[in-house]
Amino acid sequence: MSGATVAGGIDAMQALPAVPLQDTVLLPERIGELTGLDGFGLGGELLATFLAAFIVGNLMLAMTGVAGPWAKRKITAAFTDRIAVNRLGPAGLFIIIADSVRLLSKELVIPENADRPAYDLAPIVVASSALLGFAVIPMGSGIHLADPEVGLAYVFAVSGIASLGLVMAGYASANKYSMLGGLRAVAQNIAYEIPLVITGMSVVIFAGTLQMGEIVSAQAEPLVTIAGVSIPSWYALVNPFAFVLFLVANFAEVGRNPFDTPEAPTEIVAGYQTEYSSVYFVLIYLGEFLHIFLGGAIIATIFLGGPAGPGPAALGIVWFIIKIWGVFFATQWLRSAVPRVRIDQLIEIGWKGLLVLSFANLILTAVIVGVVT
Amino acid sequence: MSTGLERGQQPPVDVTEDELAALIGDRALARDDHLNAPGFVIRPDDVQDVLTDLRDEAGFDHLANLTAQEYADRYESIYHLRKYADPTQEVSVVVPTTTDEPVSQTAEPVFRTADWHEREAFDLVGIDYEGHPDPRRILLPETWQGHPLSRGYDQEKPQLVTLTEHANPVQPDHHDDESDTMFLNIGPHHPATHGVLHIETVLDGETVVDVDPDIGYLHRCEEQMCQQGTYRHQIMPYPDRWDYVSAGLLNEWAYARTAEDLADIEVPEYAQVIRTMGAELCRIAAHMLALATFALDVYGDFTAIFQYGMRDREVVQDILEDLTGQRLMFNYFRLGGVAWDLPEPREEFFEKTRDFLDGLPAKVDEYNDLLTGNEIFQIRCHDTGILEPEVAKQYGCTGPVARGSGIDYDLRRDDPYGYYDNLEWDVVTEDGCDNYSRVLVRMQEVEESAKIIEQCVDLLEDWPEDERTVQSNVPRTLKPDADTEIYRSVEAAKGELGIYMRSDGTDKPGRFKIRSPCFHNLSALPEMSEGEYVPDLIASLGSLDIVLGEVDR
Repeated sequence: MSGATVAGGIDAMQALPAVPLQDTVLLPERIGELTGLDGFGLGGELLATFLAAFIVGNLMLAMTGVAGPWAKRKITAAFTDRIAVNRLGPAGLFIIIADSVRLLSKELVIPENADRPAYDLAPIVVASSALLGFAVIPMGSGIHLADPEVGLAYVFAVSGIASLGLVMAGYASANKYSMLGGLRAVAQNIAYEIPLVITGMSVVIFAGTLQMGEIVSAQAEPLVTIAGVSIPSWYALVNPFAFVLFLVANFAEVGRNPFDTPEAPTEIVAGYQTEYSSVYFVLIYLGEFLHIFLGGAIIATIFLGGPAGPGPAALGIVWFIIKIWGVFFATQWLRSAVPRVRIDQLIEIGWKGLLVLSFANLILTAVIVGVVT
Repeated sequence: MSTGLERGQQPPVDVTEDELAALIGDRALARDDHLNAPGFVIRPDDVQDVLTDLRDEAGFDHLANLTAQEYADRYESIYHLRKYADPTQEVSVVVPTTTDEPVSQTAEPVFRTADWHEREAFDLVGIDYEGHPDPRRILLPETWQGHPLSRGYDQEKPQLVTLTEHANPVQPDHHDDESDTMFLNIGPHHPATHGVLHIETVLDGETVVDVDPDIGYLHRCEEQMCQQGTYRHQIMPYPDRWDYVSAGLLNEWAYARTAEDLADIEVPEYAQVIRTMGAELCRIAAHMLALATFALDVYGDFTAIFQYGMRDREVVQDILEDLTGQRLMFNYFRLGGVAWDLPEPREEFFEKTRDFLDGLPAKVDEYNDLLTGNEIFQIRCHDTGILEPEVAKQYGCTGPVARGSGIDYDLRRDDPYGYYDNLEWDVVTEDGCDNYSRVLVRMQEVEESAKIIEQCVDLLEDWPEDERTVQSNVPRTLKPDADTEIYRSVEAAKGELGIYMRSDGTDKPGRFKIRSPCFHNLSALPEMSEGEYVPDLIASLGSLDIVLGEVDR
C-alpha cells in the first residue's frame, strides 16, 4: 500500500504497456476514493482498508460456503455414480443454508481434559492463517488488497502458521488420535513446505521479483504466437516441471488426497479434528477449504497468469475464480480416485523425492535463465 | 508305537482308520465315532501328546474346530482335525473331563488356533484348560457370572454387576512411565473396524508393537438360539444372520448340508444347481463388498472404487431378490432343496443374470485399472500384512485369506458338495502372502464364480420341465437318532464355515456349534500386523474381510 509499492507496480506496467492486466490502484485506495474516505487521513485510510479486507474475506468465505456443503458433494457424487444433494432448491443449492443452520446449532462438546486456551485458539488460527494469505493475491478486476515487495514470501509465511494451529488442535484435544494427527501434520508440513518454497523460488528467478503483482505482469508476455493466437508465458507453460512439483507439494501442504494422512479417516478417525464439534468444527473445516483455495490462488498467481484470460480485463476476477476452482476440482478428483499413501511413504516422498527434484529444478532454472538473459 | 508311519518323512495324505487307531494306540480309551470322522476318546492330560502325533505323523494339520459341551455326567471337548491337503480326511479327538473338576490340557502349543477356541469353551461352557497362556473370557464381559451353555446355568439370573466391579474394557491405559509406547483403543467405535470390534493396540510412534483383538460386542447367542429351534424349519433363518453381508445363501448351505447329512436327506439335482447358482451369486456380492471396503480402508474415503463396488453388487442383489424374495435375510434353502423354483417368467430371470455376467469382465477390468493397477495402492499393499502359509495353517485360516497365502484349500473342490463337482472352474491361489494377494484372490474368485453361474444358468435353462423338483420329501418332524454327531462345512465367502451338531433324540439339536471362518482369520491379525505401521494394521484388518456378526455369533 505504500507509495513505493504502487510505484513499483507502475514501473512494471510501463515496461509492458500492451497488457494492462495488473491494476495500478489497489482496492483500499479505490474504495477510499469512491467513498471519499481518503479525505479523513489515517483513520479514513484504515477504514477503507478494513472495508476492502471485508469484501475480499467475504468473497473467499462465500466460495468456501459453496464448496464445502454443496460443490464437494456434487463433484464427488459425479465421480462415484451418485446424485448427492438435490432436494433443497435448484440442484440442491439450498443445502448450504440448511447445513449452516445444522452445523451452527449443534452442541459444542469440549473434552474434559482439553488444554483450554490452545484448544479454543486452534480453529481460529487454522482458519485465519488462510484468510491472511489472500491479502496479497491479485484477483483481477481491481480486487487486490496489498502488493508488498515480499508478497510471495508473505503468503508462504502466513499459510505456514496453519501448522501451528494443527499442532495446537492435536495436542490440546487430549485425545490420542488427535495427538497422532497433529504429529503427522507437523511431520508432513515440514517435509513439504521446503519443496513448496524452493519450487516457488524458481518462479521468482523467472520474474525477478517476489511481488505478486509483478509476477502476474511478467506472465502476460506472449510466449509464442501461433496463427495469430498469442500464448502467454504462464510459468506453468514455461516450466511445466516446476508446475507439477508445486502442485504435488501443495496437495501435501494442504493435506489433501493422496496426502491426507493427518486426518486419515479409517486410520486415526479424523486426526487433529477428532474432538472438535459445532462451531469449532465449522472453523476447522472452513480453514481446510480456505487453505485449498489459498493453494489454488497461489498456483493461479504464480503459474497460471493470475487473473489473465480472454476478454476484457474487467473479467479478471472471473478467470481467477475459475482457476482456483480448477485446483479445487483437482483435489476432489484425486480424493475420489487415488489411495492415500502411508505416513512413512509420505515422508519419504517428501524428503527423498520432492526435495531433491525441487532443488534440481531450482538450479536448472537458474542456469537456464542465466544463460538466456 | 508301531504305526507303520516313518518319523521325519512328509506325513502321508491318506491315513486309514486302522493306522490312526494304531498311532493313538492305548492312549485311546474308547471309540466315539462321528458321522463324518472316526472319533477317539483320550485322557485330558494326553491332549498335546495325541494332537502332536496326529499333526506330525498322520498329517492332520488343520484344527478345524473345537466343540465343548456338557453332558449329564461329564464335560467334553472335541477337537475336529482335518487336513489342508485333503479335508475329507477327518478325525475327532474327544476329551471328556469330570463334572466336578472340568480341567483339560490345552492344545494351544500344538495348534495356535486352540487359544481362542479354548477361551470360548471356557467362556460359554466352563471347561478349564490347563496351561492355557491367556485364560480369559472371550465373548462375554469379564464380569459375567456363570457359563451360559453349561447345564446348571440359570438363564433367568440377572447379570447385574456393581459399577465398581465392572471392568470397563476401554478404560485401562496400559502405560507405564518407563516405556515410550502408547496404548491405543481402536474401536469399538472406529471408522475402520467393520463393525463393533475393539482392538487393544500398543504403539511405538506409528509402529504397532502389540495387538489384541477384543471381540464379543456382537455376540447374539446364535448357537443357543439354534439349539432351541427345530431342525425342519426353525433353524434355517439364523445362518443368514451370521455373515450378514450378502453371504446368506452360503451360510444357509452350511446348515443345510450338515442337517441333511445328519438326517440322511436327499437333495434333488435340480435344487442343487439352483443352490450352486445362488451361492455363487452371494459369493460375488460378498467379495464385491470385501473389495469395496478394503478400498475404503486404503483410500480413506468413500471413493469411486467403493461406489463402483456397491453399484455392481446392487445388480447381484437384485437378481438374488428376484430369486429369493429377499435382499438380506434370504431364508431360501430348505432341508432337501430350496423354497421355490426360479421366478416366472424364467427367460427374464436368465436374461437379467446373463446381462450381469456379460458386463462383468468390463467391470473387472475397470477394477484392475482403478485398484490393483494403481501404483500407490501397490506400494500400500505389497509386503504388508504378511501371513506365511505355516502361520495361516496354525491359526486355521481358510478361504481367500488362506488362498492368498498360497494354501490350495477350497472345500468346493476338496470336499465336494452341491453341483460343483460337475462344473468347470478353478481354485484361485496367490503366493504373495500379503494384502495385495488377498485382494487379487477375491478379484479372481469373482470371475470364477461368474463362470460357475454361467454354467448353472445353461443347465437350468435346458432342464426338462417335468424334472424340476425343488424339494425332496422330508418328514415334517425330524428326529435323528440320539447321540449322532456330525461336523460338516462348506466354503463360505470368508472360508470354511462349519457346523457341529449332536442330536439328542428330540426334534432340536442337543448341541449346535458354529465354526466361523472369520473367527480364525481374525485371530491371525496380531501375526500380520505387529511390527508394521498403523495404516498397515487397518489394511490388514480390511484384507481379512471379517464380519463381526460371524466372529461373535
